[in-house]
Amino acid sequence: MKLLALEGVSFNYGSQLPTVLQEVNLAIGTGQCHCVSGPTGSGKSSLLNLLAGVLNRPHEGDIWRYPQLVTGLVMQDPQTQLLRQTVGAEVAFALENLGIPAEKMLPKVQLALRRVGLYLRLDTQVSTLSLGQKYRLMIAAQLVCEPHLLLLDEPWAQLDDHGVSELLAVLRNLIQDGMALVLVEHNASAFAEIIQHYWQLEVGKLSEGIYTVNNAPQVEAPAWLNQPKFEHLGKVLVSAEAFEFGFDACPTLFACPHGFQLQACEIVTLVGDNGSGKTSLLKTIAGVLNCRQRIPLKVLGRRPKLGIYGAELGLLMQRPSRQLFETSVLAEMQFSLRRFDLPKERAVQMLDELDLFSLAQLSPHKLSYGQQHLIALASLACLRPKVLLLDDPLAGMDKHYYGKVWYLLKRLSSQGCAILLSSHRSIEHSAVSRQLSLRNGLLVEELIETGARYVG
Amino acid sequence: MTKKIPLSLQDSLFVGFCATLLVALTGMLRLKLGLSGHSMFLMSFFYLICYGVLGRFGSMTACGVIAGIVAMALGVGKGGPMILLKFALPAIAMDLVALLLPLSMNLHWRCVILGIAGCIAWAGKVALTNVLAGMALDVVLIQWGLSVLKGGFFATLGAWLVPPVLTRLKAHDLLHRDKF
Amino acid sequence: MWASCRRLRALRHWSYERRETALCALSLLLVCVLSACAFVLPTYLLLPLAGLNGLLVIHGLLRRGSIWGVLKLGLVQLSITLSLYLILYGVEHLAQGAVVVARIILATIPGWWLCITAAPERIGEVLSAFLPTKWAFVVAASLSLLPYMADEIREIYQIQCLRGARITPKALRNPKNWSELVYCVLFPVLIQLLKLSRQMAVAAQSRHFGIAQRPTHWHSPRDKND
Repeated sequence: MKLLALEGVSFNYGSQLPTVLQEVNLAIGTGQCHCVSGPTGSGKSSLLNLLAGVLNRPHEGDIWRYPQLVTGLVMQDPQTQLLRQTVGAEVAFALENLGIPAEKMLPKVQLALRRVGLYLRLDTQVSTLSLGQKYRLMIAAQLVCEPHLLLLDEPWAQLDDHGVSELLAVLRNLIQDGMALVLVEHNASAFAEIIQHYWQLEVGKLSEGIYTVNNAPQVEAPAWLNQPKFEHLGKVLVSAEAFEFGFDACPTLFACPHGFQLQACEIVTLVGDNGSGKTSLLKTIAGVLNCRQRIPLKVLGRRPKLGIYGAELGLLMQRPSRQLFETSVLAEMQFSLRRFDLPKERAVQMLDELDLFSLAQLSPHKLSYGQQHLIALASLACLRPKVLLLDDPLAGMDKHYYGKVWYLLKRLSSQGCAILLSSHRSIEHSAVSRQLSLRNGLLVEELIETGARYVG
Repeated sequence: MTKKIPLSLQDSLFVGFCATLLVALTGMLRLKLGLSGHSMFLMSFFYLICYGVLGRFGSMTACGVIAGIVAMALGVGKGGPMILLKFALPAIAMDLVALLLPLSMNLHWRCVILGIAGCIAWAGKVALTNVLAGMALDVVLIQWGLSVLKGGFFATLGAWLVPPVLTRLKAHDLLHRDKF
Repeated sequence: MWASCRRLRALRHWSYERRETALCALSLLLVCVLSACAFVLPTYLLLPLAGLNGLLVIHGLLRRGSIWGVLKLGLVQLSITLSLYLILYGVEHLAQGAVVVARIILATIPGWWLCITAAPERIGEVLSAFLPTKWAFVVAASLSLLPYMADEIREIYQIQCLRGARITPKALRNPKNWSELVYCVLFPVLIQLLKLSRQMAVAAQSRHFGIAQRPTHWHSPRDKND
């Protein structure tokens, strides 16, 4: 049965702004699973909003809906969608808005939670859930209205592998029950077993197929750049002896029985599931997070404390767009250079090198997600720090910017910088020298096949 | 009062967030500074941000009332229903004065005037309590004058920061409106 | 049979919730009345009122509340008022000043008691009953977002510190650097709030917010087996 059909739909966010969708045709029927892929900023999220009917802008073309069509939209960030404190209240939110009497809510809420495989007490605090559980809770909060069509925005990027497999099991059952599903995802392969129709969205045009980068810019560094300078080799910049890490609330989050080291010219990955303590470890190394118990940790020969390293240490936190505040990209990049009395020309050079000089005078908040991410990283890179800590720098990056990020990282490491980057999935890249893995409460070094290895 | 103004959900949420942030920061600063009058700095800053971003009558009052309710719900300050007045009165005064000010006036001056108006109302609330408690009028006036002086300094400081912030928000295309 | 028994139990729990809310509403009313009494009662009735307030203080202290804030306020107010009375009217009017301060403290104590005994979210719920649905939602959403906002501000502050902004506690002793705090921290926070409010509005609307004229309220059954 046909649920929803778009015929020649176009729309934009303002008369002067470019069209977001152009002559889009799409038909969705019960039990179907569609996947839309495309580069960041291509209008995928807008398409979902349009399908969900929450877009308040006028559009051209016809949208046909099955008369009693109920849609459910699950967006990217759980933080902005979880509106209540407890699991029960969260799921019941939609029922409250529909004016369903309180006595009738309970069975509906329980059923919705069961359908997503969440067997929790109804007064469980939402804040105590893992990200994967939160994601399924958001789905339950939509399922409670018994939608015919469920729309999911980029689930893969934020979930770890465990979360993805749980989600897959849930989605498979929903499709079997006859629900239609539209996924927006640039890693379609993760959901290949349930997807029936592939679409790609590029410059507002929707066509069949999987989006692949056809002209991935290979910003390969010249060979000499990749050769680490001899004087830096083997210099230990960060070292920790065996320690246990924990907060007041959770005495031991993880243990590191053998300690670890970071040496100059290394790119080390820190891999672990969501909530395993990667971010906290990075923050501790940067001296941003002070734990109750002292960790035997030396960074650049000193005990870490906020603000003592100046330009020698850089930390890129998640969602780096929140650090942007200057009126132009160039000013943004020069901010730290000015504060640390470093030559301001480095910002221009860096933009040139990354082929982003055209952005120099734009407001950083008008850039796409990937561009903002890269600008934040580049503004750290032009300080030429000795230690660079990156928290999930590749999340949500499309392939275009992925290449540029690696170019920057390789360049920095050849200048003697020690780079530690966290991720919730193993990163397979030739430049990675070692991998620290954070699993089951243990931080240990794991062997990887590629690249040179140093024993920490 | 807030009932009559149909703000979009998005704008209302923004007002609510500003109010919450205001209350949280006030609570935090009280621990750090222990200086009376500093709450006027944050109040004038956030109310005027709401005024600038939403640009409609009632936005400051909405922010003030929500801040009062949030403060009560969080138990900030000495608590009790009085805190509602403490946040709402300056906001209402600022909204009323904003109605009188011509839009052609320089934004900086408009903000400062509104900040001071808020401060007078803020000190007025304390004076009102004192009068109700039966305090002698001279004493009330002296205390009121002192409050206005202290609060006025902070309110002006807060108001002075608002126009550049609004200009920047506009430069980033984050405001839907063309003029303040 | 089992289901109906369960439903009965759930119903009992709902009525428990209702009772809690009603109790909170009554406390709120009591607090307003007591505070108002502190202002309007003639002086000779202040002593019984003080007795009542004393009971509240004992109850509050038993609930592990800290009375220090109220005491501090009282002391500051007392010293300022008494010194002004002394300067303006002389020693004989000091008692009058003390009564004034006593009234102000008596007006404050019930509020303090409410803060300790009533759960903030209950107060929120009671107040929300008087607010239009939209604003009640705004208050609830803002409150639940507070921890997130606090984390966000802390992180932005830390990022900017690492980027070399002059906003460390030491640098902030110089008032010249205060504007940097506004530009580097407060401004990005405002941008985040703007974005957050947009996303949250969409999220709420996608869950049918604003459809029913009179939305109902979820009452969590306090059933350990659920």
